[in-house]
Amino acid sequence: MKKQEQQEYMEKYKKAKAEGVPFFPDIIFKDIVVSLLILIILVLLAYFIGAPVEARANPNDASYTPRPEWYFLFLFQMLKYFPGKLEVVGAMILPTLFIGLLLVLPFLDKSPKRHFLKRPFASLMAVGVLLGIVGLTLLALNAAPTPQTTVVIDKAADLYAKNCANCHGPTIDVPAGVDLHQIIAAGNHQGMPAWGGDLSTDEIDMLVGFILSPNGSALFTRECAGCHKNAIQATGNPIELQRVFDEGKAYPAHKDQDVTDWKKSLNVDEQNALLNFLAAPDGQRLFVINCSGCHGEGIAFKGSKEELRKLIVDGGHQLTMPGWKGTLSTDDLDTLANYVTDPQGYPAGTKLFGIYCATCHGDKVPVAPDKESALTMIGSGGAHITMPVWGDILTSDQVDALVAYTLESGSETGIIVGAKLFAENCTFCHGKYGEGGLNPTFAGDTIAPISSPNYLKTRDDTTIRNIIAEGQTFGMPPFASSYGGTLNDDQIAALVAFIRNWEIIPPIIPDIPATPTANPTATPGTTSPGSGEVSFADQVQPIFQSRCIACHNSSSGQAGFDASTYQAVMTSGDSGPQIVAGDAANSPLITLLQTATGFMPPMGKLSDDDIQIIVEWINAGALDN
Amino acid sequence: MLANIGDWLNERFGWRSVWEAIFLRKIPHVNWLYTLGSATLFVAVNQAITGILLTLYYVPTPDHAYDSVVYITTQLPMGWFIRGLHHWGASAMVILTVAHLLRVFFYGAYKFPREVTWMTGVILLIVVIGFGFTGYLLPWDQRAYWATTVGTRIVGVAPVVGDWLLRVARGGDELSAVTLARFFGTHVWVLPAALIILVGMHLYLVIRNGISAVPGKDE
Repeated sequence: MKKQEQQEYMEKYKKAKAEGVPFFPDIIFKDIVVSLLILIILVLLAYFIGAPVEARANPNDASYTPRPEWYFLFLFQMLKYFPGKLEVVGAMILPTLFIGLLLVLPFLDKSPKRHFLKRPFASLMAVGVLLGIVGLTLLALNAAPTPQTTVVIDKAADLYAKNCANCHGPTIDVPAGVDLHQIIAAGNHQGMPAWGGDLSTDEIDMLVGFILSPNGSALFTRECAGCHKNAIQATGNPIELQRVFDEGKAYPAHKDQDVTDWKKSLNVDEQNALLNFLAAPDGQRLFVINCSGCHGEGIAFKGSKEELRKLIVDGGHQLTMPGWKGTLSTDDLDTLANYVTDPQGYPAGTKLFGIYCATCHGDKVPVAPDKESALTMIGSGGAHITMPVWGDILTSDQVDALVAYTLESGSETGIIVGAKLFAENCTFCHGKYGEGGLNPTFAGDTIAPISSPNYLKTRDDTTIRNIIAEGQTFGMPPFASSYGGTLNDDQIAALVAFIRNWEIIPPIIPDIPATPTANPTATPGTTSPGSGEVSFADQVQPIFQSRCIACHNSSSGQAGFDASTYQAVMTSGDSGPQIVAGDAANSPLITLLQTATGFMPPMGKLSDDDIQIIVEWINAGALDN
Repeated sequence: MLANIGDWLNERFGWRSVWEAIFLRKIPHVNWLYTLGSATLFVAVNQAITGILLTLYYVPTPDHAYDSVVYITTQLPMGWFIRGLHHWGASAMVILTVAHLLRVFFYGAYKFPREVTWMTGVILLIVVIGFGFTGYLLPWDQRAYWATTVGTRIVGVAPVVGDWLLRVARGGDELSAVTLARFFGTHVWVLPAALIILVGMHLYLVIRNGISAVPGKDE
């Protein structure tokens, strides 16, 4: 544009401006109207549509079809036309060129013409580019898969992606019989943290289900999550689940729902996957849900794995109902037989059934095909349904897990081992029944009753486990080998199980006055120091007994030191003997006791008198007197 | 009394001349299409306010980003609404910016003496697109993650420096906490700063050079 043209424009513009209107209020009024209109549109969109959130980002799920924001769609569509080495053209060169052209447009188009019809080349180019972008966007919208209207999130997969996938990758291979729920809740010693604090029991159940049956989780999301927002809202009881499959629409809770006949729409593998997800083949959980109602904490099964499996699969078919022939009159037998053939038709049998059969059969009336077989069955006894035929209810995976768990729980692990360990390591301070009392290692402190419902209710397994593993202030040493103690992870788990068991079966504490097992200061003070020969049995040993032996005993000798007998005192210790007879100043024990901070015992130095007694005893030759 | 205070302040601030220069300046007769620029600015302010509110609850780490967004959407009172406004405002920004650009283009308003105004406008368009691209990742959901994976891959196709650019964009070879941190930082610090500076220049130039008139058929 020449100087002259510029001046012409400026003059013309000046004139147009002079004839115009002030920005305030004329122009700004229009601006405000339009802005308010846009605000209303935004509010409506935000209110009625809102902003979407999809499932949590899952780096392992490469099957996700990425969709950029709509204003990038044209770019992605364009990339499709530049395959392979040409990609750089579509991805880099064209966009850069376009932006560059746009930026320097005023210097390319130097003509003084302003009306778009007077500069047809520029206008046509712009229209062309515009149509191209709109066209590509439309193409991309058509090509892209229709977005799901209701995104039902696979919550279990989501939990897995968030908590497990970072270390375990997309799947975990778990051998049958592993107590997966427990592992997730408490972590393991190979660096896996305990999730019990972060996840609820239900969430852990869901995770277990997902890990053991990922397909089941996907099926659940597809078939059930529309109504059951969480997997845990569907029952985890295999008997109920089997009923849902068997009864379909007739299942009471599904009566008014639009449910599919899953028995038909899902093949056997899919059904099993779904069942395995909802009632995960996790032996311990299955046992708790299905067996402990009758069998309690565990069954000591002495037979082989195959025998146990058959027993569970066949269930009550193996058990025997007593023959009623000699017990009941012929009339009664007749009535009962009629009743079980047709309960509605012979209401008279209700009473007899209530008396003789309901104890075992409950209100479930077994239906016999005809009166003859009913008579035979009742008369001679035989098949019996007390124990369900689990083979019809559980999937094969679930049975395997149950067998593995039952065998393991029946062997000497878990609670029995825990009880032994408790007796060896804990009773000295916590009492035989976990009733607590005065703290023998720290005068003036009282140990809480750890077997009380209040204590157990307010501490989860992870907490108890950590307390045992890491120790506590006021004198409880760490017991985990990783913290310098003597117990391994399995032993601590057994202890936790034993302690937790108190919640189900509270200990019966004999009615004795709650006095401490030892009075920490009574005996040693009786003899004043320096009054001649010091006796090990009368003066030194009581100090050890009251202040040291809780941790330094024969079974859990912390640091390898055992203060229970003279022999042990003189010889034990990981770093060598702790006492140099005749030389208290060079005995490591005295150094530990005399450290200003009171290194030992950890919570409260011994009194000066007590230390003096031990010093004199050592200096006198550390005799067994 | 009020007039006296006004005079007193004017002696010190000179606000009357500013008011006259900005609000009482004459504008040629224009049509409704000339409101697109101020509408874009209005939505930008909407984005700033809602964006600031969102940062009060949003946590830019892969561990918590998704949870915080879900929290904002489902738990926080009015959180869903603020987020909805921000979400739709983002689209409105792009539409309005492009519409404004088209108006300026077809009216020839980028010509003398408004060349630099146009150039700052084009850079503002890039900034707006940058906002959209960096903001898309922040919810850390599937859509965000995978769209950004694909989006960042594009810079990797550049010859010679492609790999380097890709690592700069992602802060590593894969999308990670670093990626999220730098997208967040760009979205809430770098781009807003650029936006404020550029909008300031843009507005100054618009007022300095006046709003172009609708060109006649012979122009």
